[in-house]
Amino acid sequence: MPSYEHDWKPAIRERLARLPADGAWQEHVIEEFEQHLEDCYRELCASGVPEEVARRRALEELETSERLTEELRKMRYPAARPPAVLGDSGGNLMDSLWRDVRYAIRAIRSTPGFALMAIGMLAVGIAGNAAIFSIFDGLFLRPLPFAHSERLVDIDETAPKWNLKFVGVSNPDFFAWREGNQTFEKMAFFDTGGGTMVISGGDAERVSAALVTRDLLDVLSLKPALGRNFTADEDKPKGPKVTMLSHKLWQRRFAGDPKVLGRILKVDGEAYTVVGVLPQDAVFPSNVDLWSPLQADPKNQGSWYLNGVGRLKPGVTIQQAQADLTRIHKGMIEGEKNSVNNITSPVLMPLRDRYLGDYRDATNILLAGVGVVLLIACVNIAGLMLVRGTARAREIAIRAAIGASRSAIVRQLLTESLVLAALGCLLGVFLGNVALRGMLTLLPDDTPQWLTFGMDWRFLVFCAALTAASAVIFGLGPAVQAARLQPRASLQEGQSSFSRARRNALGALIVGEVGLSLLLLVSAGLLVQAFRQVMKVDPGFRPQNLLTFRVWLPSAEYSKPEQRQQFFQTLLERLQALPGVQSASAVSIVPFDGHSGTFYEAVGGRVLGPNEKNPVVLYLYAWPTYFDTMGLTFLSGRSFQEEEKNRVVVNESFAKFFFPNVDPLGRSIQCSCMKKGDTLEIVGVTRDVKHYGLDQEMRPSVFNPYAQRPRDSMVLVMRTGVEPHSLISAARDTLRGLNPELAMAQPRTMVERMDRSLWARRAYSWLFGAFAIVAMVLAAAGIYGVTSYVVSRRTREIGIRIALGALPGQILGWVLRSGMGLVTLGVTLGLAGAFATSRFLETLLFGVKPRDPGIYVAVICGVIFVGLLANLIPARRAAALDPMRTLRAE
Amino acid sequence: MAAAYDRELKKGNAELLILSLVEDQPRHGYEISKQIKIRSQGRLTFHAASLYPLLYRLESRGWIHGRWVENSGRRRRYYRLTPEGRKVLAARRIGWQEFAAAIRRVAGIEHA
Repeated sequence: MPSYEHDWKPAIRERLARLPADGAWQEHVIEEFEQHLEDCYRELCASGVPEEVARRRALEELETSERLTEELRKMRYPAARPPAVLGDSGGNLMDSLWRDVRYAIRAIRSTPGFALMAIGMLAVGIAGNAAIFSIFDGLFLRPLPFAHSERLVDIDETAPKWNLKFVGVSNPDFFAWREGNQTFEKMAFFDTGGGTMVISGGDAERVSAALVTRDLLDVLSLKPALGRNFTADEDKPKGPKVTMLSHKLWQRRFAGDPKVLGRILKVDGEAYTVVGVLPQDAVFPSNVDLWSPLQADPKNQGSWYLNGVGRLKPGVTIQQAQADLTRIHKGMIEGEKNSVNNITSPVLMPLRDRYLGDYRDATNILLAGVGVVLLIACVNIAGLMLVRGTARAREIAIRAAIGASRSAIVRQLLTESLVLAALGCLLGVFLGNVALRGMLTLLPDDTPQWLTFGMDWRFLVFCAALTAASAVIFGLGPAVQAARLQPRASLQEGQSSFSRARRNALGALIVGEVGLSLLLLVSAGLLVQAFRQVMKVDPGFRPQNLLTFRVWLPSAEYSKPEQRQQFFQTLLERLQALPGVQSASAVSIVPFDGHSGTFYEAVGGRVLGPNEKNPVVLYLYAWPTYFDTMGLTFLSGRSFQEEEKNRVVVNESFAKFFFPNVDPLGRSIQCSCMKKGDTLEIVGVTRDVKHYGLDQEMRPSVFNPYAQRPRDSMVLVMRTGVEPHSLISAARDTLRGLNPELAMAQPRTMVERMDRSLWARRAYSWLFGAFAIVAMVLAAAGIYGVTSYVVSRRTREIGIRIALGALPGQILGWVLRSGMGLVTLGVTLGLAGAFATSRFLETLLFGVKPRDPGIYVAVICGVIFVGLLANLIPARRAAALDPMRTLRAE
Repeated sequence: MAAAYDRELKKGNAELLILSLVEDQPRHGYEISKQIKIRSQGRLTFHAASLYPLLYRLESRGWIHGRWVENSGRRRRYYRLTPEGRKVLAARRIGWQEFAAAIRRVAGIEHA
């Protein structure tokens, strides 16, 4: 039942109307005031005051609406912390912080467009940087997963005279170095290869294997997970055949059964006893299923074929170790005039550099790109905060006028910026993780197993701090200024004024942004153009509809050359007979699949000068039908026949180098691998095949007939009339039909092999392109935001101009001119930057000059167009202003 | 003259007055304003417009605590002193006494 004699609420509400709506709290205030007025009224009535007078006097309790609102606002949005008082523990810091955060969220929600833009920019900046940096970190910065990995070095030999950076280590050298060095704790050598493994009762499987010296586990500071390491006797020539399984293989094929020790595996037809299981951390050499003892013979002068890895003694530098090995190496030459050790010499480098050197340029460039995007994001956020701070000068002035202290205002704005930054960071971390996962799938399958990738939290914090700092610094500047101003001055200024200093600051930000994104777009344009040029390169064969796979023959079972030749001959005939196969052939190495080099001399051809280097020649063994099946072009001559063991086909580069001025057909050449006096006759010259990659130089190359030296491993090549993948299972069945213990390795189409060889270029070119586009979008958003803001602040000026007779077209031109002036300045500075920095890209470019005018013109036009668009929208808005309305609004 | 005196004194010491009034028993806003008027013999008055914001501020600092109590069909908010507020009140009382003593000594009231 209503117990009040009056309804006081309308009067109270009317006086509170200017308070920001605040739901429950306001209702609570109203009720309490209502009680008060009712009490007051009743008492006055009881003391004999007439009802109407009592009512008026009760309402006087509320004083004027300004006073009440001001008092309540002071209370609700406190201007300062309570004064420090003896006995005051000041323990409500959390309360006031929470209140600030709530107010900040309310303020952010009231301008969702601004909030979305700021959060989005922060997120993009943080996500891109964190993801790319994580890749960079994994490749170059994270310690390898071995104890004291900084002391691990790669050991190899180099032979500049042969034009080879790395040749591998020979047996005699490895024994001499291992015995004689004073700088290594331990040193190990290994050779990687593969074999067909058969476990009794299971399918044949192609496995990768490493032949290792027994010190390798010690060098890596690892212990077997199960069983034992190889013994010294097992690592001697003709020692027992034993093996250690990788942890992965043990889990996959033996389900982690500890009884695997002592079991017998057949690898390429030979029986190996399992003596141990490698720990999970044994990820070097990478992706190896089996380890077996190298059993190297120190007397075998043979070839250079070993990889080495050593653990330096603590405190020893790589240079000291290299000097140590060189001393031993040179010591071996004494007394021997023609020793090859005159040509080769030891070369050491950090393990990581040896395997990742190729990625460094690309990652550095990407990192630079990311840095620029981060910078643009910061600049944009700065601009945004500057604009917002200015727009709020009036609000801040009001708050200062009603008693808010400067520190309270600053704290409030700080909270607001931090809340924005926190939201942006959260989104950025999420997006960064998604991006990192996406990029990891771009890495090739043969990325070393000992690399680990993950979000680097320290870097994430760094990015977040940087962007948040730009938000806070540029958000606070105008706020502090506004709070410092005489409130009255700031209020009277109204909306029309806009300080010249701040306009200059915003202009500088726009210029910087445009310049940076132009720089990035030019770089990305060059990289993408280079990628397109690479894709246009003629590989020298027809890659479409080619299926390839490799087959290894176990040497025990196929020990005689005739057996090997017979096997491949039969296999080719059966493959040829498959429906959908137009022709089938075989080669020792297909394009993009590796290298095998030797040296040749031309009989009656070019004579090398004393300082001229004899080039390394790619030598291949092929079936006579290979040239037709692959679609190679003969420039002259023909293919060799099956029975022509000493006839060869050379490529264009070979002919040009060795027979510069004569017709090579019918000429003789001699291989360093042949007996003196034996020669090979050239019967054909083909156009170069881009064997090492579409963007790589081709070496001279020689195709030898398979019959000349029948090998145990060949790549089968099938030209198909149907989709090549559809033939994989038929080909596998054909292989098993011949020998069920043989495995098909790497079944891939030629197009797939070509794509894989380009992954790095593709990945960084398109990533860079993506960065550049993000940068441009950010810059466009920045231009649009700032121009809109400038227009909104100058509404009054524009209104007056229109009122004085300016035509809409003139206003449009006026706004566009001022905006485009900044864009043009940015373009000019960006161009200067691009000119200065494009040479850093040179190593990554292909078929396009670092100052390609086409790219520059296209990018300049693009940037100006986007700038125009971003300016046009606010300019049109300005031109459509109604002068009467704008002036009245003031 | 009286009004200016009233405003100056009130401004600095309103918090002390309110805390003192709710020290022994919970009181609602109207009662607090009435008590101030009665005890100061009409020299100090608080309108609702300044009293309630003050109450809310003290409450937000955790010195007093308000609770809605229903009595014969009317809901009133009663404020009581919190332990925290008790400490503050003690400190403020000492502060006021020292201040008043200092004023007395300086202004020569004691010797008059």
